[in-house]
Amino acid sequence: MRLSKLLATTAVALGVLGLAAPAASASPASSHGVGWLRLAHLSTNTPAVDVYLYSFGNSNARIVLKHVAYGTVSPYEQVPVGEYTVAMRAAGAASGSKPVLSTSLDVSSGDAYTVAGMGPEAGLRLQVLSDKLTTPKGKVLVRVIQASMHQERVTVTLDGKDLASQIAFSHVSSYAEVSPGTLTVHVAGPSESCTRTVQLTAGSIHTLVVLDGSSSLAVDDLIDGEGSKVVPNGAAQTGFGGTAPRPGAPLLPWVGAAAAGLFAAVGGAMFVSRRRRPAMHAR
Amino acid sequence: MTRPPARDAPAIPDYSTTRRGRHISSLRVVRRPAAAVALIAGLLAAGTGAAGLAVASQTGHPATPVTPVGRTPLVPIPRGKWAAVPPSASRTVAEPVSVVIPAIGVRSRLVHLGTTAAGTLQVPASPAVAGWYTASPRPGEPGGAVVAGHVDSLQGRGVFFRLRLLHPGERVYVRRADGSLAVFRVTTVRSYPKAKFPTNAVYGPTPDAQLRLVTCGGTFDPATGHYLSNTIAYASLVS
Repeated sequence: MRLSKLLATTAVALGVLGLAAPAASASPASSHGVGWLRLAHLSTNTPAVDVYLYSFGNSNARIVLKHVAYGTVSPYEQVPVGEYTVAMRAAGAASGSKPVLSTSLDVSSGDAYTVAGMGPEAGLRLQVLSDKLTTPKGKVLVRVIQASMHQERVTVTLDGKDLASQIAFSHVSSYAEVSPGTLTVHVAGPSESCTRTVQLTAGSIHTLVVLDGSSSLAVDDLIDGEGSKVVPNGAAQTGFGGTAPRPGAPLLPWVGAAAAGLFAAVGGAMFVSRRRRPAMHAR
Repeated sequence: MTRPPARDAPAIPDYSTTRRGRHISSLRVVRRPAAAVALIAGLLAAGTGAAGLAVASQTGHPATPVTPVGRTPLVPIPRGKWAAVPPSASRTVAEPVSVVIPAIGVRSRLVHLGTTAAGTLQVPASPAVAGWYTASPRPGEPGGAVVAGHVDSLQGRGVFFRLRLLHPGERVYVRRADGSLAVFRVTTVRSYPKAKFPTNAVYGPTPDAQLRLVTCGGTFDPATGHYLSNTIAYASLVS
């Protein structure tokens, strides 16, 4: 009975270990079982909204971002992998009220997403963007989100080189590979333009958002991911061996344990035989 | 020795207190209900005006009237985790100066680390102190900040002797030059043969602020004078 229970427990434990081991090696240790989400309001003429994030099948919101106005992008949130629903309600609307719009997405392990309300208010939709998390060695990845409605089409250049040419309102470019540095971003629309500098360090990933600013076009520089500027080769030599077992040394504890065990056994046997002897005499 | 990675859900930072992340618009986050109502009303008026202007000046889009929404006298408290979009936080934080890990008795200043002539990670000259790799993000910035320390010296224990004994959920505190404190929560502790060092997991991009603590472990090879494995603790920013 007891043995079968023990065996069953062991089997379960082994099963869990067996399942866990391959899963662990499937994704980098740092991001096992989690992904990242950020939420954005990029629809010029839509008033502020409350953004709700629900994990699938749970009517209690996991995150509620209150009063998110045009141009706002939340930082990334780490969330367990799985299915999520993002819902937008008018700012201040009751949490139980029917959302203005909603979308669902599947978060997979180690992946990042931007869920943005985009388009004009009349055609507002929630767009799920996949954000990259790896760069070619020593390079930077940059993409453009065109969220200016006043300037229907814009051309974005980075140090004079085209990053997105004649990109239309509510469109997103794919990532372009660029060399790191402090670069000049220039955005030109039919009647407005703007210029700013961005600091692009090697190993980082950026999204440039073209916005309708208070007076003219504006550009926001979002960080999708950042890593080490210089990636060292190989492993780290962080030990001198002062606490490492010396060759031959591991035997000593075993010899010690064996000797102690033998000593205890002999002692125990003597103790038992001494206790027994008086009992036999009494009979 | 490999410990299974953390499976527990990461805590959602409370935006009412955290200040990481950025905010594009000039809108300030509202915490007081009275101010909230005033601000919402103002914003609605401004938004309606701006939208009307936009619609009027835009011929390509259908001229749909913008209906003012959310004109409730009080902001209802939604169910679930309440969070406001965090106010603008400066992207650059101060340099790290010290690290404290109460769970394993670590308290060390942080020296600066670069790379060696061979292009490998430079390690602290003293086994008693840990170092921050200066080409990695500063702790608290988006990205994985790298802190390395020796497991031992020629004679005895190093600053990260007990790193492999860290458990998921335990805290790592990094003090920065401006006195601010970055608090991290350990998510995973793993050991890798040096030949299979997880370069991308340690040095590659991450979307949020993380920390990687690096030391040696496994079998010591007296021939080379180096350990054969690296032990790495991964942690995520809590506040």
